[in-house]
Amino acid sequence: MLMEHVTFQVERGTIFTILGGSGCGKSSLLRYLIGLEQPLAGRIDIDGVGEPHRYEGVPPFGVLFQSGALFSSMTLAENLKLPLTKWTPIRGAIARELVQAKLDLVGLGPFADHLPGEISGGMKKRSGIARALMLEPDLLFFDEPSAGLDPISAVELDQLILTLSRDLGITIVIVTHELASIFLVANHCIVLDKATRGIVAQGNPSELRDASEIPFVHNFFTRSSPAASTKSGG
Amino acid sequence: MSVAVRVDREGDHASLVPAGPFDLSHTTAVARAVDGTVTRLSGCVSVDVDLAELDRIDGAGAALLARFLDQLDAEGRRACVVEGRNPEAARLIALYREHRADRPPSQTHPISPLARIGALAARLPGKANEALDFTGRCAVALPKTAAHPSSVDWRSLPKLMQEIGADALPVTSAANLLVGIIIGFLGVSQLGRFGAVAYVPELVVVAHFRELGPLVTAIVVAGRSGAGLASEIATMKVSEEIDALRSMGLDPLRWLIVPRCLALVLTVPLLTWVGDVLALVGGLGATAALTHMTTRAYIQATLNAITVEHFLAGLVKTPFLGLAIGLIACGQGLLARGGAAAVGVRTTTAVVLAIFSVIVMSALFTFFFALMGI
Repeated sequence: MLMEHVTFQVERGTIFTILGGSGCGKSSLLRYLIGLEQPLAGRIDIDGVGEPHRYEGVPPFGVLFQSGALFSSMTLAENLKLPLTKWTPIRGAIARELVQAKLDLVGLGPFADHLPGEISGGMKKRSGIARALMLEPDLLFFDEPSAGLDPISAVELDQLILTLSRDLGITIVIVTHELASIFLVANHCIVLDKATRGIVAQGNPSELRDASEIPFVHNFFTRSSPAASTKSGG
Repeated sequence: MSVAVRVDREGDHASLVPAGPFDLSHTTAVARAVDGTVTRLSGCVSVDVDLAELDRIDGAGAALLARFLDQLDAEGRRACVVEGRNPEAARLIALYREHRADRPPSQTHPISPLARIGALAARLPGKANEALDFTGRCAVALPKTAAHPSSVDWRSLPKLMQEIGADALPVTSAANLLVGIIIGFLGVSQLGRFGAVAYVPELVVVAHFRELGPLVTAIVVAGRSGAGLASEIATMKVSEEIDALRSMGLDPLRWLIVPRCLALVLTVPLLTWVGDVLALVGGLGATAALTHMTTRAYIQATLNAITVEHFLAGLVKTPFLGLAIGLIACGQGLLARGGAAAVGVRTTTAVVLAIFSVIVMSALFTFFFALMGI
């Protein structure tokens, strides 16, 4: 069993992060939340959707996978057009206009006819975000959005996340362990621990960093290892 | 609720009032309503867009309104957004206007069939160069392998031989058995017209041992193992595993391709030999089913027809056919660039090239043997 007694609530319009060390089940939890897998027990309830793994219909949320997960045989425009084609009757010039608007929003307007293999990792992530936005969801899930990005690209991506939340009012759930991003964007977080197989802390990241008395949480937010703490007498 | 855009004109000033849900599910109606107002604005120099009666707006509606406002600006009209009781809508439209990039009109030039042929022909020397380059590098790898045996992943060889040889045995055997049956049926129907059914065993031996056995086996191996090798190497290429090997000082040609080619060189003759035996069984079955020739008579005629010459004329081709399959499959895999689509393209190309190559090589061997009188 990977985790148990994981209970939390995400408030509408916030940026919520799921944190934890490697192997604690962050990505598995995300897969449950987006309905790709079903937990052995318990319930996931997304407003207006019910249980995601049973839901059939227009996807109520968008997902950015860790590597972008763009289809390599399609251009960026074709990748973005796919959800429109599947779930709406929008075609032709209007579809192209909407696709272009989303690419412009993420700063990739000139790259509509490029293949994923022709753009950088950061650009793939932004393309993935644009595709996740195509059906105008109120909720977005991001899996390690900053993974593999240089610091500048990571900051640009964080700014984009803040824009989506502030200007579009989208609720965003992020799985990450990038501390810089967490402190910049997150309103609320939960911290998972492999040892306890559950949530060891929840709250505002800055408050947890400053006030948590749980060693694992303190070490996580201050980037210190237990051995280093012992060595320094801390 | 319906989508509409009301236009109130006062001289050269117009006030547009979009109403209803300007969202994704009403996009077509929104586009129609917005585009329909353009004709009603002729002569206007200033336009106000009042968002007070918008029922709902999302990114899709905001993008279309942003495009419309940009179009008004481009036509020299002063466009102003009146947010009124809808500041969120105004902010959303401003967000899409702010990010709208200047794009040059896309230029599509239709390419004539002659130009396409020319482009293909122009690429041929490059492709031939690539093939020769790869063959040369593989040839250079052989003496280096002899000098540094540890540069080859020998541990993978038994598993490769099992996958390419033992696991392929059922399908190559079935193919050769069926070909033997086909030759038997054909022989009985054609030679029977001349009362020469007694020569059917010799026909099966000569046709299968010399030509069809090696060819059918190689084609099946090319389709099965060639595709597997090409896709494996291509996937390693696109996921940077080949780069990782090189960064560790390992030559991918020696580490990966030498064991794979060696496995093919060793297993294709064995598969062909088993296939030859099963073809004889197939021929026997066909002949016994259609004629009064006894099994004993068929076997005796077969033994009389089998010569070392016939057997070796077929078998000697097989290591070369196996080598060709290995080089083509692995070579195509190493050319993969991009993602999953590239793996598919290279795998398909590898199989087509490998099958075509084994047919051409078989023909060349046959021509050579004919010249030599073998």
